[in-house]
Amino acid sequence: MRWINKFRLRVRSVVRRNRVERELDEELQFHLHGLIDHYVASGLSPTEARQHALREMGPIEPRKEECRDARGTAVIDSARQDVGYALRTLRKSPGFSAVAILSLAIGIGANTTIFTFVNAVLLTPLRYPGSDRLVVIYEHKLNSAEPLAVHPVNFVEWRVRARSFEALALLQSPPLNVMGRDGAEQVSRVLTTPEVFQVFGIPPSLGRSFSNDDTRPGNNNVVILGYGFWQRWFAGDPSVLGRQLVTPDGSLTIVGVAPRAFHIGLTEPDVLTPMAIDPANPAATGSRAFECYGRLRAGVSLAAADAEVEGIATALRQQYQIDDGLGASVSDLHESLVRDARPGLRLLMAVVAIVLAIACVNLAGLLMARGVARRGEFAVRVALGAGRGRLIRQLVIESLTLSFFGAAIGVVAAYWSTQALVARSAGSLTGATGEPIHLDVRCLLFTLVVSAATAVAFGLLPASQASRVDPQAVLREQTRGATAHRRHYRVRGILVVAEVALAVVLLVGAGMLLRSLTNLTRVKLGFQPSGTLTMGLFLGTESPEMRSAVVEQILDRVERTPGVKAAGTIQFLPLRGLTCGTGFWPEAYAAGADPSRALPTECALISRGYFAAMMIPILQGRGFDRGDRMSTPRVVVVNHAFAKRYFPDGRVLGQRILVQGSNQALAEIVGVVGDVHHTGLTSDPAPTVFLLHAQTPGYITNLVVRTTTNPLGHASAIIRAIHEVAPTQAVSGVGLVERDLERVLARPRLQAILVTAFAVIALALSLIGVYGLIAYVVALRTHEVGIRLALGATRETVFFDLFGTGARLVFAGVGAGVVIAALLRRVVSTFVFGITTGDPITYLAAALAFSVVAIMAISLPARRASRVEPIIALRTE
Amino acid sequence: MRTIALEPLHGWAIAQRIRAISKDQLRVGQSALYPALHKLEQQGWIEAEWRVSEKNRRAKYYKLTAAGRKALKVETAEWERLSSAISLVVKPA
Repeated sequence: MRWINKFRLRVRSVVRRNRVERELDEELQFHLHGLIDHYVASGLSPTEARQHALREMGPIEPRKEECRDARGTAVIDSARQDVGYALRTLRKSPGFSAVAILSLAIGIGANTTIFTFVNAVLLTPLRYPGSDRLVVIYEHKLNSAEPLAVHPVNFVEWRVRARSFEALALLQSPPLNVMGRDGAEQVSRVLTTPEVFQVFGIPPSLGRSFSNDDTRPGNNNVVILGYGFWQRWFAGDPSVLGRQLVTPDGSLTIVGVAPRAFHIGLTEPDVLTPMAIDPANPAATGSRAFECYGRLRAGVSLAAADAEVEGIATALRQQYQIDDGLGASVSDLHESLVRDARPGLRLLMAVVAIVLAIACVNLAGLLMARGVARRGEFAVRVALGAGRGRLIRQLVIESLTLSFFGAAIGVVAAYWSTQALVARSAGSLTGATGEPIHLDVRCLLFTLVVSAATAVAFGLLPASQASRVDPQAVLREQTRGATAHRRHYRVRGILVVAEVALAVVLLVGAGMLLRSLTNLTRVKLGFQPSGTLTMGLFLGTESPEMRSAVVEQILDRVERTPGVKAAGTIQFLPLRGLTCGTGFWPEAYAAGADPSRALPTECALISRGYFAAMMIPILQGRGFDRGDRMSTPRVVVVNHAFAKRYFPDGRVLGQRILVQGSNQALAEIVGVVGDVHHTGLTSDPAPTVFLLHAQTPGYITNLVVRTTTNPLGHASAIIRAIHEVAPTQAVSGVGLVERDLERVLARPRLQAILVTAFAVIALALSLIGVYGLIAYVVALRTHEVGIRLALGATRETVFFDLFGTGARLVFAGVGAGVVIAALLRRVVSTFVFGITTGDPITYLAAALAFSVVAIMAISLPARRASRVEPIIALRTE
Repeated sequence: MRTIALEPLHGWAIAQRIRAISKDQLRVGQSALYPALHKLEQQGWIEAEWRVSEKNRRAKYYKLTAAGRKALKVETAEWERLSSAISLVVKPA
C-alpha cells in the first residue's frame, strides 16, 4: 500500500508538475507571511518586518530546489528540461539536424531491416512443438560434410539400433496423379513411414495417422489429405473420411487430414501416402534417394545423437557393400533449413553494422564541431554552476533525441524496405524455413537498443570533450582557442580516417561481390537457357513399354506444334539441384559388375531431341534419334568431361560400357556432347553419361521445348497437344530454363546489390565527414588565408596547403581501409567466384574510386577558401 | 513529527511549536523544515491537505499517517536509545 502511495505522489510530482510547483511556492509564501506577522507583532513596522522576514528566509529558489530534491524527482525534471532544450537546439540548426537524423535513419533503418530477416530466419524457432528436438539424419562421404540422401536399408537399421530418437521417419516426395473433375491432375505428395506425425509432434487434425499395417507392401492404399488440399478439393468437409481418392493406378481410401500448415521443409504437401517398406527387404523400396527426419528423446543432446548415428554407420560400413565409404550425421532441422541463407545474412548484418558505425563516427565529428561552436554557451552554463556531469548528461540527451528521431524514421523505412526485399528476394534471403518475414516486437526492441547504443557511441566523446571547458579561458578569449582547436582537429582527423577506412572496406567487399556476380553471369553454361520452356510429366507406374511409348507420342505431337523448334525430355533439369550419381564399368571388366571396380559418373536420363532443345553441341558422333528403341542395340552419349577423364586417348566412340542401375546392359558410346553446368554455376561440370529414356524408361521426366518466340506464349498450345495424344497425362510446373538460371543467380545478385548499395551509402556518409572537417578547417583559417594572400602568397600555394590537409587524411583512411579489407578477406571467401579474395583489381578500384570522389569533396572548400578576397577575409574578424 | 502527532499543523506553526516546546533552544529554519516535510510526505509518513488557516489564508496542513505513527514510535525508541547512550558517554561518571 505504502509504495503505491509513494509512487502516486512521485508520479504526481512529475505529471502535475505545475500544480506541485505552485503549491510549493504558496507554502513558502505562507511561511514568509507567518514570519512577517511575527515581527509585526513584536513591534516592527510592516516594511521593516518584511525586510527582516526576507532576510531570515534567505534565498527562496535554493530552498525550492532542495524540496524538489527531497521529492526525488529532480533527475526526471532535469531530463525533461534537457529534452526540451535539445529539441529547441535541434530546431535552431535545421541543416545539421536533417543531416544527422537522415544518416541515423539510414543506419538504423538498414540494421532493423536486416535484423528483421535474421530474426525471422535464424532466430525464430520452427513452428512445431518441441522444435528444438527436430533433426535431420543424412549420409555423407567420409571425407565430406556435404549431405547425401538416405538409403532405406540404413534407415531400417537406424530405426532398430539408435536409442537417441523418440521417432524416425523416412520420406520421399514424388508427385501423385489424381483424377479430378477435369482429368488427371498432379498433386504434391509426401511418401512417408508412419512416424512422420510423431516426429513433427502434431497428430492429424481429423481421422488417424498411418499405422505399421499401412506400410506393408500391397496394403498401402490409404491416404491422408493435406489441410490446404482438403479445403481446396473437399471444401473442408469432415465427412471425407472413408471416401476414395481416385488415381490412374487405383483408388486410395482417405483415412485422415493433416494438421493445418503441416509444412515439411518449405512446402505443405497436398497428400501423404504410406511408404511401403519391408523391414526384411528394405532395398526393395528404393536406393539412396530418401530424406530422414527424427525427434530426439528429451534430454538427448544433438552431439550425443550424432555420435551414436556415426557409430552405427561405422558398424554398417562393415556389414553392407552399399555403405562403403559413407558415414551418417545428425543435424538440427532448423539449422539444416537455413544453412544456405546463413552466410549471406551474416555478411549483410556485418555490412549494415559498419554503415551504422560510419554514421556514428560521422555524427561524432559533426557534434564535436558544434561543441566547439557552443563553447561559449557551455562556459556560461559552467560559470552559472552547472556540473560537468550535468553538461555531459545534457549533451547525451541531445544525442538520444537525435537518435530516436533517426530510429523513428528508420523503423518506418525498415517496414517498407522489408516488404520490398521480401517481394524481390524470392526466398533467396530467407532460406527454407518458410517463416513469414515481418517487423515484430523483437525487431523494435532491437532498434531501440541499437539507437540508444548509437547515441552513446556518437554522443559521449563529443560530450566529454565539450564539457571540459574552462569558463574563464573561454569567456575571455571569446572564440579563438588555438590549442583547443588543435586538439579538436586531431580527434576529428582520427574520426575521419576511421570512417574513410570503414567505407573503403565496404567498397572492397562490394567490388568483390560485383566481380563475382559478373563472373557468374559469364559462366559458359554449355546450353542456351533463353527460349526454352519446361514442364513436368509424371508417367505413373505403367509398364516400361507404356512409359516409353507415351513419351514418344508426346514428342511426335509436340514437335509438330507450330512455333516449336525442338523438343526432348530429361529426368532432372539442370540448375535445379537434382542429380543422379551412379557408377559404370568399361566393357573389359563389366562381366562381374563388381561394385568395388565401378567408376563414378553422373547420369542423366533423356530422350531424343533433348540436346537440340537445350542447344547442347554434339562434339563427336551423334545424339539419340528415333531409331534408338527398346528393341535396338543399347546406346549412350557421354559428355566431354567423361570422354577426357576415362578415354584420354580420344578413342571414345564405339566403346561399350555398363552403367549401374535398373535394367542395366552393355551400351555403346555413340556420341560426345559439350559439358553442361548441371548442378550449379560454381562447380565444374562432372563426367556424365546420358541414358536414353526409350531404352530405360523412368517414372518422372520433364519436357523441354525450344520455341521460335516467347516460350510461355506456346505453353497452352503444347499442353493441348499433349492431352490430344495422352488425355490422362498430368502436366505440372510450367517454367522456363531462364528462370531456373535466374533463381540460381538470385542470391548472389541480391547480396551484391545490397552490399553495393550499403557501400555507396557508406561512401556518401564518409564524404560528408571529410567535407565537414575540411570546411571547418577552412572556416577557421579564413582569417589566416586572408593575411597570407595579403602578404603575397599565391592562391595555388594556399589551395594546395588546405587541400593537402584533407588529402593526407583521405589517403591515410584509404590505406587503412585497404589493409583492414585485406585482413578481413577470409570473411568473403565463401562469396567470391572467379577471383581470389586478394584480387588486386578490386582493391585498386575501390581505393581509386574513393580517392577520386574524396578529392572532389576536399577541393570544393579548399578552392573556395583560396579564392577569398583578403580584404573581406580580414574584415570578417 | 511529534509536533503534528496531536493535530494537523501547517509549516509555520510547526516551526513555532518546535521553538516553543524546546523553550527557544531549537530554532528550525525553513531551510531545513520544508525539505524535511516534503521528504516525509514522499515517504508516506505524513500527508498534507490544504485548509484555511486561523488568519484566513490557505495553508498546507500536515498530519501523521498510520505508517507515520508506527515510524514515530520506532524512531523515538531509537532516538532514546541513542541519546541515552550519548549521555552515558558524555556525562562525567
